[in-house]
Amino acid sequence: MRRLFRLALVVALAVWAWRSLLGERGPRERASVAYADGSSLVLEPGSAGFERLAAPARRVLVP
Amino acid sequence: MDASQALAELTELSSQVKRAVVLDASGAILGATDADAAAAEELARAALDLVGAAGDVHASPDEVARVEVELAAGGLFVLREGGLTIAATTGPRPTSGLVAYDLRTCLRAIDPPARKGRRGARARTGEGEG
Repeated sequence: MRRLFRLALVVALAVWAWRSLLGERGPRERASVAYADGSSLVLEPGSAGFERLAAPARRVLVP
Repeated sequence: MDASQALAELTELSSQVKRAVVLDASGAILGATDADAAAAEELARAALDLVGAAGDVHASPDEVARVEVELAAGGLFVLREGGLTIAATTGPRPTSGLVAYDLRTCLRAIDPPARKGRRGARARTGEGEG
């Protein structure tokens, strides 16, 4: 039981270290749209579609 | 329950949702978390603009069901179901799936009679009172 606890602790520490050291840095920006027919789109920052969707969002998110 | 009650429940249960507004099929506000009517109107307008823009980026004219925009300052989520639209803002790096689930639960909690265009938010936020 003690070994199992240690193993869980080691795994948790490894995941935390991985995420804090190698995880993505900086603000994440993205936009996605899902449609009634089940299709969906993910728009990356810099694309024209992203900027079209980001404009109304900026109005209410950026003070 | 009506839209205002459902929104109150949403903000109580979700730690990520900051502001939210529910609109009917015509775009009229049914309920809002904002006490300020102008702020609620602004969020509603942004939601409708977002849905319009999302419809434009797709090749087929199918209805937009969900839009999520994540920026450094936070997220804006819009979900449409059963003739209702809910829009909500969150802080940075929201858990998209969880927010969408909370918004869907909120929409489904609204009774059908409340879906017919009652201007609950305006009454609740004081517009027209006096």
